[in-house]
Amino acid sequence: MAGMILGDGILLSYRFNMPKTETETPKMKPRPIVRLAIFLISHSLLVCVVCCTAGVLALLLLPLLAKNTYISENALMPGSASSMISNRDISEANRLASDLSGLNFEPQDAAALESRGILTKYMSDLGAEVSYHKFHHKPNQFHPLHFFSSPDSTSSVDNFSCSAQGVNTVGIIRAPRGDGKEAIVLVTPYKFGKSGTAETLSLSIAYTVFSLLSRVTWLAKDIIWLVADSQYGEYAPVEAWLRDYHTPVFTGLGALNADTCIKIDDLYALEQKPIAQTKISDGFRRAGTMAAALIFKVADRNELLEDTLNIYAEASNGQMPNLDLINIVNYLAVHRQGLRVKVEKVLSLLDSRWLEILGEIFEVLGKVARSLNPGWKFGISAADYVEGSATLASSLYNQALGIPTGPHGAFRDFQVDAITLEISPKVSSHNKARHNEFLLRGGRLVEGVVRSINNLLEKFHQSFFLYMLTSPSKFVSVGVYMIAFALLVAPLPLVAASLYADANQLDLGVKNTKSTTTAPDELDITFRSWKWLYAAKEVFLVHVWGAAVSLLPYFICQIPNCSPTTSSVIWVSLSMLGLPILYLIAGSPSTHVSISQHEEKGEWAILKSVTISAVFIGLLLMSVVNFATAEIGALLLVPMCLMAQPLMLDMKAGKFRSFFRVICNMVLGFVAFPPAAYFVAKTLFEGSDSINMGDFWNWMESLWAWNSATYIYIGMVHLPCWALCLHILLHSC
Amino acid sequence: MEKKKRGFWRWLIASVMLRLILIYLPKTFNLASRPEISTPLVSLRRLAEGYWLKKSSMSPYAGSMYHGSPLLLSLLGPLTVKRIEGQPDHLLCSDGDDSLHILGYSLVFVIADIISALLIRATGHTLQMAYRQSLNSLDIVDLFKSSDSLSSGDVAALVYLWNPFTIAACVGLSTSPVENLVVILALHGACKGLVPLAAFGWVMATHLSLYPAILIIPVILLLGYGPDTPPRKLFLQKGYGKNGDNHSSDNCGQQETNHSKAEVTFSWRPVIHFLFWSSLWSTYVLVLCSISVKPHGSLWEMFRRTYGFILTVEDMSPNIGVLWYFFAEVFDFFRSFFMIVFHLNILFMILPLAIRLKHRPCFLAFIYIAISSMLKSYPSVGDSALYLGLLGLFLDELADMQFSFFLLCGYIGVSLLSPVMHNLWIWRGTGNANFYYATGMAYACLQEYGCSFTEDSDLYSFSLPPPPTIIILQIILVVESVSAVLNHDRKLRKLSVTKLRDGNS
Repeated sequence: MAGMILGDGILLSYRFNMPKTETETPKMKPRPIVRLAIFLISHSLLVCVVCCTAGVLALLLLPLLAKNTYISENALMPGSASSMISNRDISEANRLASDLSGLNFEPQDAAALESRGILTKYMSDLGAEVSYHKFHHKPNQFHPLHFFSSPDSTSSVDNFSCSAQGVNTVGIIRAPRGDGKEAIVLVTPYKFGKSGTAETLSLSIAYTVFSLLSRVTWLAKDIIWLVADSQYGEYAPVEAWLRDYHTPVFTGLGALNADTCIKIDDLYALEQKPIAQTKISDGFRRAGTMAAALIFKVADRNELLEDTLNIYAEASNGQMPNLDLINIVNYLAVHRQGLRVKVEKVLSLLDSRWLEILGEIFEVLGKVARSLNPGWKFGISAADYVEGSATLASSLYNQALGIPTGPHGAFRDFQVDAITLEISPKVSSHNKARHNEFLLRGGRLVEGVVRSINNLLEKFHQSFFLYMLTSPSKFVSVGVYMIAFALLVAPLPLVAASLYADANQLDLGVKNTKSTTTAPDELDITFRSWKWLYAAKEVFLVHVWGAAVSLLPYFICQIPNCSPTTSSVIWVSLSMLGLPILYLIAGSPSTHVSISQHEEKGEWAILKSVTISAVFIGLLLMSVVNFATAEIGALLLVPMCLMAQPLMLDMKAGKFRSFFRVICNMVLGFVAFPPAAYFVAKTLFEGSDSINMGDFWNWMESLWAWNSATYIYIGMVHLPCWALCLHILLHSC
Repeated sequence: MEKKKRGFWRWLIASVMLRLILIYLPKTFNLASRPEISTPLVSLRRLAEGYWLKKSSMSPYAGSMYHGSPLLLSLLGPLTVKRIEGQPDHLLCSDGDDSLHILGYSLVFVIADIISALLIRATGHTLQMAYRQSLNSLDIVDLFKSSDSLSSGDVAALVYLWNPFTIAACVGLSTSPVENLVVILALHGACKGLVPLAAFGWVMATHLSLYPAILIIPVILLLGYGPDTPPRKLFLQKGYGKNGDNHSSDNCGQQETNHSKAEVTFSWRPVIHFLFWSSLWSTYVLVLCSISVKPHGSLWEMFRRTYGFILTVEDMSPNIGVLWYFFAEVFDFFRSFFMIVFHLNILFMILPLAIRLKHRPCFLAFIYIAISSMLKSYPSVGDSALYLGLLGLFLDELADMQFSFFLLCGYIGVSLLSPVMHNLWIWRGTGNANFYYATGMAYACLQEYGCSFTEDSDLYSFSLPPPPTIIILQIILVVESVSAVLNHDRKLRKLSVTKLRDGNS
């Protein structure tokens, strides 16, 4: 918005200072804001440098500016009640675990059925309503524009195979004090039939909590325990269940669905006989709207020092759950259960030298500031700074990618706040007492969180949705991190305006050039203000090309037996081919040069101005959709767009400054090319030994398979703007 | 010239193809349910609902679903009937059979778009002819030879056809293409002097969406004065100049003055005809309507459910306008006051603009449409499609427009931002209504603007209405185009003066 307003001011200033040769009124003094705008435009180079530097600096300062988290919703009251999990629950859970791991059937199907049966029996013994949910695993589909539409409610009945069918087990406890309109969801991914000890452990934690919750009197929200059949990944079963949960089925579609896979249904019938007494409903069971969801699992790896809790929160397109949810988990884990809480970090940043130096500088600055005024709580230790920036970088990267970091992402698409808790136990879990203590800790943590959420009167709304974590207990809110982005993109409208003004020979009143009253000829005056149309046409064409390029994978996917490397080669070559074809169809942009022949600078300057406007609009839009993508994109695009100038001009000038600019342009032009940027980043963070052309294809494929808006951004904003900048660079003057 | 004509037809056919392709495409965007496209007034879904109610012999206005004209119901309703019979399909997803019906009523809108474009083209030709003629009589034609290359009618028609807003309104199953068609019909009739056609267009447009009622002023001016001309003063000046110039041949100068006098006189005959015809047409329309709604209620019921619905802003579901949010927030006891204020806002602008721009009635009509499409209670992108299309008609006059590039950027930005904000608010839950409303405000601000920086003090004093509410904004687009036109007039004056001086010296 600020940019908009600024833009208005600038254009107004044009308006105001338009060559008014025919009016004989004395020149009025412009308003202060207009004068400010004119001043900014006329010093756009300086403003650019200052703003961009400040933008990068503000980004680096973010770990310093992070605030401590606090619980904003009063109703939550985490940890105010003492835990009620008893040894009885734990011994029950252990019995379940031993029953499950005692199964050693050779055909895995049978083992899966048997273990599901056991689980069902245990659940229904607790008084829960148990139901099965069948789903079909769908392979990746190309629908990148999915982002703008609602969550897909149409279940595609066609083209699934019976072999790719999974069965979720759902247990629901009805709340004694609730009206059945709200629910809390617990999810444990579990591979029936082929599970490891870690998964069984997570199941027993969940069972511990579930058995407690079936007895308590304070429950006001129904509890849904979803044991997700994770043989096709952890995300797919949860997503399928959620979709069916939110899609009412009116007709006998379910029956139709069931008929198609008779074999599996027969197996059900066989298997259900032994436990015929238990009531298993075949229909889909629902509780109320979901207040929150917790996905928890036990990690396979062991920690050396103490039990550790990893929190994953990033959902699709950089959406985050409400900060309060993370807060209560963090609070209970640290202050009640004594777990060590971690969030993801970019490990390679932890031992990077330059970050450390930067941290030390900030530390010194902080000390100086504190010596000047003890009230200034500025500055953190260098180690904290490095840690914070590594976490922030990971947060930024995961949000920018737009791919959920776990099954919790499926919930966020239905506006349910959810996080994944991954608990890693300390080594030597064979010890029985140690094992029970671990169960107790995990169970108490989940119980505490459920109890807090149970207190909630409305859905989470008090705390932030837009934030980035720099540690489990520190965050940067939207108001702070937007500053860095705003500073970075602020020069764009200024430069666009100043280029436009230059090219149109608008008198800005500051430059004191001789006014344009001499009027080259009437024709030029008449259509001067529409001259940008040709540049706009070119920009539009390149964007069409970008859209076509981003649609190409849809067709490339149809080619059978295509390795990622060949796919990416086909993609690149088809894209290259597309550009000349497009020009052939729509007419080359160079046919319209005649309109502005007498101006040398004019043509590319106008093109640059239009390009920069397109970049500005694109980045602003993206910052609303997914801030992190826009921030990273701006870091790449903004310097390139601002620097771009025909190489020929600089070559001709032959000064040191222009030579420097040529080098900068080349480097930026290389780095901003999406595949190049990908490989450069990969080399920087993972080392140069594993570079493969197919990686880029795989990466892009994961983007579109997850409906990431980043894919659209790369195809429709980043790539066209890069091509346009390249066009400007290679422009012949 | 021949080549140019072929080019026009080629582009026209291409636009039709594009529409058909978009209609056939799977409904990824689900355009018909977007709030930007289908408002309660123009949504075809609601029309189908109304038709279904009527079929089951209930009042089509029962249940506050349908608020359009009963005539539209009888015209378009039968096309939607298949879709209603296959009710379960409608709820789930379309099967192959369904696409045929969609094609059925989409074709109506495509045809409406094409006819509108052709009418705009014809109007543009008429306007350009008149413009040339008046320039001829001012002896400054040679300076504008350059604009021969662009026929403003063609440009306007293509702008109308290829405007993404038009395409979205056409593909997104809203009835606004039909409403736009009748408005253009009225303007075309008035430009060509076809009084019955103009009267029919005006009556139908008023009947369908009420706001075009204010077009009666430009239509009367068009019929009275003929198409747009440079200001009358110019002709008089020229007459005087000639007079002063040719002292010797006094009678010749007298003739010139007489000639220009004859050109600017207001002819009452077509206006009387127009009034007669429009009363005839409106009686006819009312009779048809009363026959149509007879079994379910009276005409009064119809007026209450259509015009009443428009004027009282009953439906406060989000749209791109500025009123829904305001009336959702306002206290009930202030409601009627603000309702009057908002509607007066449009009326306030009518008279000053009419006085200032009476020599350019077509342009005046454009301004009226732009203003009403921004201040109306349920605006949709179909309305902006109409005035953006008409903008192309004034190519010669608007050649000096200063903000053109900024306006384009603004329109692109807002039209992309609007679905994103809607998504944030409705589907992701991280935004709220303010986010979406902000884009609505920005959209209105693109047409309106906060303070008038135009150089014409006369325009400033005339067109700024007494600002009683949040709308103290004036119109960027409107101000900009008005000032461009006035500047253009000024330039013409200057040119003719210099011409005279040259002739003198």
